[in-house]
Amino acid sequence: MPDIAGDGPEEQPLFSERPDWTDVTPVPQYEGYNPIAPIFYTPQYYFRGIVKTNEKSERVLELTEAIIRLNPAHYSAWQYRYHTLLAIKAPLDAELKLMDSLAVQFLKTYQVWHHRRLILTAIYSPPPSNASGLNDPTATTSSSAKSKPSPESQAAARTELAFITRVLMVDAKNYHTWSYRQWLLAFFDDVHLWEGELGFVERLLEEDVRNNSAWHHRFFVVFGRGQLQGEEDRVAVLKRELSYTKDQIALAPNNASAWNYLRGILERTGTSFSNLRSFVEPYTKTHEDRLGDEEILDLENPAPSAEAELPCVAALEFLADIYEKDAVSKSVEIWKRLANELDTMRKKYWEYRIKEALKDVPVQS
Amino acid sequence: MTSSSQLLIPLHVRYIQSLGEDDLTYHLTAHLRMNAVYWGLTALCIMDHKDALSKDETIEYVMSCWVDEAGAFGPHPDHDPHLLPTLSAIQILVIHDALDRIDVPRVTKFILSLQQPSGVFAGDQFGEIDTRFLYSAVNALSLLDQLHQLDVEKTVSYIKQCKNFDGGFGAVIGAESHAAQVWVCTAALAILDRLDVIDQDTLAWWLAERQLPNGGLNGRPQKLEDVCYSFWVLSSLSVLRKVSWIDADKLTSFILSAQDTENGGIADRPGDLPDVFHTIFGVAGLSLLGYPGLVDIDPVYCMPANLIESKGLRKGWEALPRKAS
Repeated sequence: MPDIAGDGPEEQPLFSERPDWTDVTPVPQYEGYNPIAPIFYTPQYYFRGIVKTNEKSERVLELTEAIIRLNPAHYSAWQYRYHTLLAIKAPLDAELKLMDSLAVQFLKTYQVWHHRRLILTAIYSPPPSNASGLNDPTATTSSSAKSKPSPESQAAARTELAFITRVLMVDAKNYHTWSYRQWLLAFFDDVHLWEGELGFVERLLEEDVRNNSAWHHRFFVVFGRGQLQGEEDRVAVLKRELSYTKDQIALAPNNASAWNYLRGILERTGTSFSNLRSFVEPYTKTHEDRLGDEEILDLENPAPSAEAELPCVAALEFLADIYEKDAVSKSVEIWKRLANELDTMRKKYWEYRIKEALKDVPVQS
Repeated sequence: MTSSSQLLIPLHVRYIQSLGEDDLTYHLTAHLRMNAVYWGLTALCIMDHKDALSKDETIEYVMSCWVDEAGAFGPHPDHDPHLLPTLSAIQILVIHDALDRIDVPRVTKFILSLQQPSGVFAGDQFGEIDTRFLYSAVNALSLLDQLHQLDVEKTVSYIKQCKNFDGGFGAVIGAESHAAQVWVCTAALAILDRLDVIDQDTLAWWLAERQLPNGGLNGRPQKLEDVCYSFWVLSSLSVLRKVSWIDADKLTSFILSAQDTENGGIADRPGDLPDVFHTIFGVAGLSLLGYPGLVDIDPVYCMPANLIESKGLRKGWEALPRKAS
């Protein structure tokens, strides 16, 4: 079996030159002109020859791999490869290993992740515990009794998570990778796996506190999955999340993801924005303005660091939202500042906020 | 090198006409050839050069991609059928007033067969699910006048579940908000008259926040700008009637600076190589911004607006008024 990993197409003999492929009739692709690079087309011509005879064999795996290496978005090749793997009862864990080694090359392609889902589903089908419906198009919304995951499937899940982590080290915001991680967690639905996710997110945010995907994943893990074991005390959970988010904002205040997360958790828990007023206010001033303030060390409300760029636009937006309830003239003052000075790009948006807020103000008699 | 403070229409028209000539990339992208033809044709329509590509050859190409066993289209002859090229094929035929070439009942059956119990659509029998496919199905059925066959409640309920804490939408339930996915969900809801699902002010603000200091738009917080978001973000804002929340002059300059002033076409950002994908979305974005000399584009269907209107499919979107010059 030729060593496929690492050999580029230029180093392999053409399929047309190989004795083990002489029985297959290559089917040329319809073109209105002559293709300029036949070498790239040979595997695809042979692929169509295989498809026409519906061949499912070891050499089909070699062929589809060659096509996928040239063109990872060739979904027909992926599909046919999957069916071939099942038909010839190929070792699927070996397939996963092969996919691992090609992953970094292909990580921006939808198909490579979908193929992984299919392989895992084939290996662990039916799922070890009842998948809860996330990313699972056929699941119903009602929950079912969960069976205890086997040691093998637990180990496999951890290996997969480790693989995903490695890929994220290369491209920390890869959309498909994160989506796949979510799918994997829901598929195995193992409480121990879920428990590890907070620590995982924190490690990534330590690398890059502005990683929006990591913040989104945090929300997914803490609030999006229903109650995790050990997280029944939702008051404690909110306290922890607020504390964590405030600390990250203190580290890097001009971080849209952290502020969006803050808003998200307040809205999800029905908590008033005004609870955050003491925290937010220092971020709305310049460093000079703050010099006059008393330096009280308040662990609950970490202050902006000396290097922070102030005032922080997101903090001003937040404060304006707090004031909107009962001190709308203060909101308007902030929005005017944003429109004319601090966030002029979105001037029309701030003018809209002013207009809408003043609409509700009763006319003074 | 000519100035890039204008849209170089004749150059871009020639760029689209010459796609496929001795271009290796062209050969390697057969899996999205049908999409590429639709992108090129729509860009020509918006630049008011619809006839720059032969109508007959285009229709012949589309029909050569018909997969009779499936009742659908593949992206290229002898490729497997898929929802994306099926939508593109329908769009191309609508633009060329050749919808009569399609076996509507069979295509409708193919499209509906891809809906999953949860309401989302798969792209094909491979099973990949994504709100892009949901949008493609809704758009296609709408153009075929077969929307009445769709389980609208089920479809809308899936989109609802994709709504995230920031007001945006992702590719599947639980996935991160992303401007392209926001567009497909917003446009699908527009076609189904269910914009009530969206927290409109919150989402419009999230979309406005995509604009970076250089005037370009990104797809998610703290990612790079890319010309294609000129369409995804702008058309979503159009549907929400908040296009003015974007700084139009800065975005216009950004798109124009991404033109290839020698060979034509538009790239993802200034200095990169152009491709037909970024060309259509750059031109479409400019059209929504009221750039002079362009034809109106419908942001829900990403097709010429007057054509959609003539089919009675226009929804309540708003673009910036067309500048005189």
